[in-house]
Amino acid sequence: MKKNLPPSELARDSRFVRSTIMDAIMDPRNQALAERDLGSAKLQPGRPAAADRARNLMHGIFTGEIQALEGAGRTTFDFDDDEAPFALKLDMARQCWDESRHVEISVKLGEWMGTEIGEYNEATFLYEAACATDPILRLCGVNRALEGLAIDVFNTMREFGDISGDPVLEFCEDWMLADEVTHVKMGSDWLRRLTENDPERRERALEFQRGVDKLFSLGGFRGETDENPIQLARKLRAMAGFSTDEIDEISEISVQAQEDARAMSAGASAPS
Amino acid sequence: MSHAISLTPEAFTLVKFDAAELLAIAEDAATAVGVPDDVSIAIDVDEALPGPLIASAAEAVPGKLSFWFSGGSFEDPKRLAMLQPEMSRTELAAAFLRGRDRLDGGFEDAPPDGEISERQRAIWDVYAEGRLAQQGGFLINEPRRRYSYRLRCGFSDVADAEYDRVWKAPSLSWTELEEIEGRLAGADTRPEARKPLRHESLRPS
Amino acid sequence: MADPRKPRPAFAPWDRREIPGLFDVDESARRVGIYKWIEMRLFETLGGWVATVPELDVKLVLGRHCYHHAWHAELWDKRLPELREMNTTRLTVPANDAMNEFMESIREPEAPELTIEKLVGVYRVLIPRKIAAYTYHLNATSRITDAPTQRSLGFILQDEHDDWTEGEMLLQSLIETEDEVDRASRRQVALEKIVLRAGGITGPGTLGDAPDSSGAQVEGATV
Ligand SMILES: [Fe+2]
Ligand SMILES: [Fe+2]
Repeated sequence: MKKNLPPSELARDSRFVRSTIMDAIMDPRNQALAERDLGSAKLQPGRPAAADRARNLMHGIFTGEIQALEGAGRTTFDFDDDEAPFALKLDMARQCWDESRHVEISVKLGEWMGTEIGEYNEATFLYEAACATDPILRLCGVNRALEGLAIDVFNTMREFGDISGDPVLEFCEDWMLADEVTHVKMGSDWLRRLTENDPERRERALEFQRGVDKLFSLGGFRGETDENPIQLARKLRAMAGFSTDEIDEISEISVQAQEDARAMSAGASAPS
Repeated sequence: MSHAISLTPEAFTLVKFDAAELLAIAEDAATAVGVPDDVSIAIDVDEALPGPLIASAAEAVPGKLSFWFSGGSFEDPKRLAMLQPEMSRTELAAAFLRGRDRLDGGFEDAPPDGEISERQRAIWDVYAEGRLAQQGGFLINEPRRRYSYRLRCGFSDVADAEYDRVWKAPSLSWTELEEIEGRLAGADTRPEARKPLRHESLRPS
Repeated sequence: MADPRKPRPAFAPWDRREIPGLFDVDESARRVGIYKWIEMRLFETLGGWVATVPELDVKLVLGRHCYHHAWHAELWDKRLPELREMNTTRLTVPANDAMNEFMESIREPEAPELTIEKLVGVYRVLIPRKIAAYTYHLNATSRITDAPTQRSLGFILQDEHDDWTEGEMLLQSLIETEDEVDRASRRQVALEKIVLRAGGITGPGTLGDAPDSSGAQVEGATV
């Protein structure tokens, strides 16, 4: 088996269909929608199409959990003993088990919400963050950016479950959230430990994380305003080792990502 | 074609739907659920609204049914901007049944879709899809319908019992639906602020 | 109640443990180092395979089992300094070149259509071999002096048996044709030949020496 498996080779059964993030960004409907006032974009139970939006998001989480599992698994394999400390690999193996449970939880939750496996398409940008060849870049991309997004999403969905009185959704999100805080903390701890005496490597890793965070803000998907379906979970991020400055920075990155997406979709639909 | 069906837009530009294909599916669905041949059908699709924004509205006047759909109602969840024929057929058929209900099926005095509560709409959707399930031949995702209903009507034994009854109901009237809503409202223990009473619409007014 | 100050023996009447065991400190440490090396290579392999198997149930089981073997590696890593091996990496090695070749062969399959080959290597060859070697260690070492190793072996063997069962059930559900039976068998035969050359997963004497035809007893053998 080779090291560093590219995203195109992720193995899936026939139920799964892949999409690209560019397809979504270049969709001409984005511009048409941006020109309308559809009210708050926050994902809340009282909003129109809330059930289908929640089902769609939870399926995205399900495929994200598969990729998080795959990413953690590859990190145990891709690095030789002299490239990644033994204890880091043990942490990644533990994360494998956790993500495997998250996939199981997501499948059960999907059944509860009436969603079939593979019902929606799968974008592989989450796994793409797990393809860096420096283990600390990979941990920053996966554990701090990807898992940080998971904290934001799970927190939003836990609230969704609480508000709608859905006992299963709230229960599942609460448990997954507990694991994700641990995973983010793992990333924060390893970043500190491995770059203690190497400020340059630390900066490279943080820069990589910024890029991934921007990608994960997905044109305004995650942020702190009414326009963002998923809300930044400040308190939980602080628990997971993010400083206030770092959280502020993610918030700014989210605003920037939203503006970039607007500009891109305006450019895409402009007459040529 | 045995029904006079009109489609707006005549050609799609934001999505990759084939208007002729959608019209053929609509004709098939109308026949399957027994829309009389002398009733004309007008379908307005808002193609800017993608999946998972699935929404529709039905209006009826004697001799004519009019429908509004979000484009997401027909979009393949797996393939961006592509038509999903089976799902579209079910969405159309369910809406046509609600149109027939309004025409002469016991819902003649129901307020317009824009004015009914989310809870009332959820019950009506269960009634429509339940009939398609009894009839057979449609792509039905019952757990999806149940979840949408629970979100609007509550996660409780009372709500589930009403759901099971409505899903299998051979007939229902607007008055009976209002009575069901009353029972559900009484059993909904969620704090007032948490109940989905607000009525927002994806449909531009 | 009996007089609490009355002297009692250190070993209760039913506690029949005795001092002698087959392994001295060095031999126990050698084996534990080899175990750690095998567990490491195994958890890495399972972690790497997760992304390469399309079968969702297999993917999730591999993710879970990956952690089981990582935990075993951690237990062995912690045991090594207690066995006078402060440089834990020195003994974290394969028993011999053939064992290295064996683990390389185990982890070789990558393509998504090779799930049977992947699982046969782990669940029909390696894990049964591990269960045998661990059970031998459990039975052969001193129940008093090497009790910490035995305690870890007990936990680990519980995992190994459970995982073996689960892997075997997955295999039986994946093997649907005679051709697939042949594939599984071919794979098993090829790997068994390599591990045979290695003399077992800890090298020659993995399960103790073959009984001496002269009838002489192995010194210290009490089990
Ligand atoms: Fe997760
Ligand atoms: Fe995670």
